Amino acid sequence: MDASLIRNFSIVAHIDHGKSTLADRFLLMTGAITAREFKEQILDDLDVERERGITVKARTVAIHYKHEGKTYELNLIDTPGHVDFHYEVSRSLAACEGALLLVDAFQGVQAQTVANAYAAIECDLEIIPVINKIDLPVTRVEEVMDEIETVLGLDGLSSLQISAKNGINIEAVLKAIVEQVPPPAGDPDKPLRALVFDSKYDGYRGVVTYLRVMDGSIKKGQRITYMKGGTAHEVLELGQFRPAMTPCNELSTGQVGYMLCGIKDLGMVHVGDTVTDRSVPATTALPGYQQPQQMVFCGMYPIDATDFEHLRDELQKMGLNDASFSFQPETSDALGFGFRCGFLGMLHMEIIQQRLEKEAAVDLIQTAPNVTYELLTRSGETILIDNPEDVPDSGQIEEFREPIARVTFIVPSDRIGVILQMCEDRRGIYKATEYLGPKRAQITYELPLAEVIYDMHDRLKSATQGYGTMDYEIICYRNSDLVKMDILVKGVRVDALSTISHRSTSEKRGRTLVKRLKNEISKHQFEIAIQAAIGSRVIARETISALRKNVTAKCYGGDITRKRKLWAKQREGKKRMKQFGQVEIPQKAFLSVLESSSEE
Amino acid sequence: MPTRSAYIHVPFCVHRCGYCDFTLVAGRDELMGDFLKAIEIELSHVEGRPVLDTLFFGGGTPTQLPPDLLRQLIELIRSKFDLASDAEFSVEGNPADLSDATLDVLVEAGVNRLSLGAQSFDDATLKMLERDHRGSDIADCLARARERIPNISLDLIFAVPGQSLELWRSTLDEAIQLEPTHLSTYGLTFEKGTAFWTRREHGDLTQADEELERDMYGLAMDVLDEAGLAQYEISSFARPGFRSRHNQVYWNGGDFFGFGPGAASYQHGRRILNHRSVTTWLKRVLAGESGVGETEELSPEDRARELLVLGLRQTDGIEACEFERRSGIELQTLVGESIERLVKQNLLEHANNRIRLTREGRFLADSVAGELLV
Ligand SMILES: Nc1nc2c(ncn2[C@@H]2O[C@H](COP(=O)(O)OP(=O)(O)OP(=O)(O)O)[C@@H](O)[C@H]2O)c(=O)[nH]1
Ligand code: SF4
Ligand SMILES: [Mg+2]
Repeated sequence: MDASLIRNFSIVAHIDHGKSTLADRFLLMTGAITAREFKEQILDDLDVERERGITVKARTVAIHYKHEGKTYELNLIDTPGHVDFHYEVSRSLAACEGALLLVDAFQGVQAQTVANAYAAIECDLEIIPVINKIDLPVTRVEEVMDEIETVLGLDGLSSLQISAKNGINIEAVLKAIVEQVPPPAGDPDKPLRALVFDSKYDGYRGVVTYLRVMDGSIKKGQRITYMKGGTAHEVLELGQFRPAMTPCNELSTGQVGYMLCGIKDLGMVHVGDTVTDRSVPATTALPGYQQPQQMVFCGMYPIDATDFEHLRDELQKMGLNDASFSFQPETSDALGFGFRCGFLGMLHMEIIQQRLEKEAAVDLIQTAPNVTYELLTRSGETILIDNPEDVPDSGQIEEFREPIARVTFIVPSDRIGVILQMCEDRRGIYKATEYLGPKRAQITYELPLAEVIYDMHDRLKSATQGYGTMDYEIICYRNSDLVKMDILVKGVRVDALSTISHRSTSEKRGRTLVKRLKNEISKHQFEIAIQAAIGSRVIARETISALRKNVTAKCYGGDITRKRKLWAKQREGKKRMKQFGQVEIPQKAFLSVLESSSEE
Repeated sequence: MPTRSAYIHVPFCVHRCGYCDFTLVAGRDELMGDFLKAIEIELSHVEGRPVLDTLFFGGGTPTQLPPDLLRQLIELIRSKFDLASDAEFSVEGNPADLSDATLDVLVEAGVNRLSLGAQSFDDATLKMLERDHRGSDIADCLARARERIPNISLDLIFAVPGQSLELWRSTLDEAIQLEPTHLSTYGLTFEKGTAFWTRREHGDLTQADEELERDMYGLAMDVLDEAGLAQYEISSFARPGFRSRHNQVYWNGGDFFGFGPGAASYQHGRRILNHRSVTTWLKRVLAGESGVGETEELSPEDRARELLVLGLRQTDGIEACEFERRSGIELQTLVGESIERLVKQNLLEHANNRIRLTREGRFLADSVAGELLV
């Protein structure tokens, strides 16, 4: 295929600014899908995506578009907008020459608009700003143009104005892509180099490798090697997503598609690797990707201990489709064998857990998440802690450091005060305020990551009636007065309930937490004391009184069925319980640790 | 084994008591004629002419039917079934409206057991419960009924808002003085959809304290036992020879027919529940459609666990060989470990080769059931 007729671009934007809806339009207009096959956000095909109405995975599609008598192949990548999936965006950008930057005509430039625009600029991509949702009853098109100009430094005045939903001005976007995005630059005569920018596992066909051919070309039947993985394979099938997997015989320089080699071993394919020809290999591999830094960790344990191996397999498969989370086997006295999993954020964690339960059918107990801490021990060693259990005795700790994030908020000017207050309450250090226009401001703070990730986003939304947005990046670890708090249930320490918090808030947290646990744990035949302790000092205590009566009197003909249902419900509930000494603790209790991090 | 028990649900009451969530209509006596027609249709599906050992008319209030309709209803049943010579034929009745004419019909039809919804002897408690009789009606009713039907059971409710332990004690004493052959005691429960539920939600009714309710139940066990009414099931007490045979069919996993709205039947491991709405059931059956609301097919293991739990609710408990013979499943393999654990927790005990709830276990019978179903 003639590379001058290929255009590769990503659609990037703040969450909900209409990326997937625009992709729908492209697919419809170019005939990739028929009106009958159409449904909204058709590329969001994971259960979790449809349920939540957001994109979680980047999705690639090849479409054909006729312009001035020539047929172009456009490879578009629809990317997620939420900050937790930023790794999806950066991987996609590396496979493209251009980016469509969508901006909501009312909301304007938001925190992830800024982050994504900068990411595209860093990759040297041609950026086409597009103002979407001009059909909305209230828009601020003029102001938004200004924001694009001043905040992002892009040509705001000539931004296209469209409505992805109503199909207004879509053709102009396609035209701009053909005219402004440069064709791929690789050399067709050089040895093959193709970037592995994504992958997934298919139960029947094995690993599906997503490729962007940088140099040379790849053909069905060719012998190839993964340069980093080091394994050699024969190409059994090549193809493009249109959007369904559609086989073809060759992918040439600049093209985007998939490859099947019948690989069943989950450890062989790595995102960021380079595929080359076996007999005429390239000398250097492509730069690949930087491993993202997981910042939120939690334990995931199979409810049924015999599911451990199954869970490992499923985590591996999930890892193939999402290179941004990590997992390490760990054991807990309380929960048995499981994994310590790392995520880019809370939503990411929720999504992975839900995908594991839905797509892989494993029932999980998940422990409360925590961030990674850094410890300097008395012996001068620096260690990273991603599980509160691993915190040594306070006597051995020289410095207990927590991750600090630089957080940028974009909020209506009249809400600045609320945001400042929120950040001060959370040990924030004020950095700057910049006005983006007459009514909007960008505030920068340095905040402990632990104060940011759990619920700051929700608080921000409610403090600004939904108009405020935020973005953050981790800048350093800083020494802080941190303590590890343990929970004892009827005198037994439950390791999976330990948390790390700042000393100034630990007592309050302890009190809230034992109260929560009291509500989550049902009455037993005996009294149960629930205590929160720092070291050997108990800082909070609640008691669950003994169960004294639990008997239904009537049990005649028709009652039996009703009783059976009740019992069956109890049985279902019990499945999600774990036994600690004599006490049964339900799965929900482990997450109540998390909720208690928010103030009452 | 052919089915030898039958239950007929008569869904009429003058007024719906505030705590009651049974299948019934209040103040809709005009539906009585249709009800009889519908029962006739349901009966027509029974094959052959089975013989019954136990027959039970429950409600609602069966004695709410005027004497002639009650007679017709009984005739309908008896035209379909034969009663064994020693059959137990029970009818539930309301102390307020058990007229002599009604008694005549019952006696003539062969009813030999009466179950009276006494609930309490204290007028304030009865008023709280929204019952339409007074404490003194109970003795009157009993005096008239007992010459003709000597086998009489009383129902009593405890843990009523405002009821003290002393008040409950005097209720028990008064009941004992009336010398019933059988007594059932129920702790008041708050069921979703009842007036009591809503009132509790709104805070204008306070549910009895758990500890008080426990004391009341404990007191009933002690006092009744002393009076010669031995406990034989969680809520049932009887003089020797007067246990309810019909109810024991339920608890021992026996088969039974059920007719009327909300009634259940159980045959060959399949439980069929009629529609719980009186009007829907009527409409469907009269239109020639099925009145069944749901059907439940029990696996052998489900049946075994149910048998186990219902068996343990009886003071005789269960015996391993007998259990295995009835359920086809060995007790030890099914729940051996759980039983040992519960014995350690003093909720179950071994006695004379049988396993049964301890006294403590009776207070926590639902927890025990939960353990044995996992
Ligand atoms: N009024 C209007 N609504 C639009 C337009 N485009 C998208 N939307 C709506 O905006 C919402 C979000 O659209 P999506 O296409 O899912 O947004 P997205 O950018 O893909 O979101 P993420 O992938 O989760 O970041 C949906 O309810 C769309 O119907 C538009 O042009 N006009
Ligand atoms: S009399 Fe009995 S069945 Fe009728 S409403 Fe009252 S409690 Fe319910
Ligand atoms: Mg999307």
